Amino acid sequence: MTRPGPPETDAGPAVERYLAEVTARLPGPARAHGGIVGELRSGLLDAADAYQSSGVPPAQATGAAIREFGDPARIADAFRDEIAASQARRVAVTLLVTGPLVGLLWIAAAAVSHLGLRFGQPWRWTGVPPVIHLVFAAVAVTACAALVGIATTGRLTRWLPVRPRRAPTAAAVAGFGAVGADGLGLALLAGQMAMAPGRLSPVLAAAAATASLARLTLAGRAARRCLAIRASLT
Amino acid sequence: MRAETLKGHLDGILLAVLEPEPRHGYAIMEALRVRSDGQVDLPTGTVYPALHRLERAGLVQATWSAAGGRRRRVYQLTPAGRRALDAERSTWRDFSAAVTALLQPSPAVASSS
Repeated sequence: MTRPGPPETDAGPAVERYLAEVTARLPGPARAHGGIVGELRSGLLDAADAYQSSGVPPAQATGAAIREFGDPARIADAFRDEIAASQARRVAVTLLVTGPLVGLLWIAAAAVSHLGLRFGQPWRWTGVPPVIHLVFAAVAVTACAALVGIATTGRLTRWLPVRPRRAPTAAAVAGFGAVGADGLGLALLAGQMAMAPGRLSPVLAAAAATASLARLTLAGRAARRCLAIRASLT
Repeated sequence: MRAETLKGHLDGILLAVLEPEPRHGYAIMEALRVRSDGQVDLPTGTVYPALHRLERAGLVQATWSAAGGRRRRVYQLTPAGRRALDAERSTWRDFSAAVTALLQPSPAVASSS
């Protein structure tokens, strides 16, 4: 079953040229397309084999297989929609999973620090700077956009009409929402450190800040990447 | 039949071809040709992105296999895929019955010719 076969790239220059034409039109780094290229390559070789066993000489069998596969631009366009959707889904899921974890770290840091906060219903909190409402708004935007991103790329797509650009747009909005939420959290922390650093719980505050900084960086990068893919969709 | 004519039905057709057994991309294309008596003649390359879309929708599941020294991605129906195929079949039956009835020459035209 897993017997090593001939080298995967030994498919002849015409096949490799065709595959290169497809991948040149795909978004993202080449290493991300290894699976697609491998699958298309084995399909082309299977097609060439089929031509050969029906009597077509080997030299022409490869050409016939390539013609049968069709316009590389068309295949690349279809795969681009696919890559955009799966990337958007990954970003949305990651944001939705990490959000509550980072949020809990901040809540723990705030609760353990001596900030004079009174917790209860969020709208009755006292001693909380008004900026916190902006943080809540950014969190809400992130969560809603991430849910849209997940809904438009999963099983619901069987029933929903899906436009290829919707999921990358939602994922980008979610990413920028996370940047906003984490950025505001870090700004609040910086303000507290400037005014009364002694009241902070150093370990938890450092943990929350590190988590937010990492998430901010990654979410910003992912959001820009989603926008770039969105722009490449036809 | 060209790709444009099949548009909207490709998903159901792919699921139907995978119903009897798991297949890899090129075997799916060959099965399409055999089962349609050579009437379906899509650019083979378009089948692959369609399969990836079905995989993302949870209707098929793909695994790599290396039989015969060539690595191929083999697709098989998931339970959700089977349900989607059933739904596709009954939708098609209703649709084709309605269109057949509509395309029938009306009695007046049939008798005058």
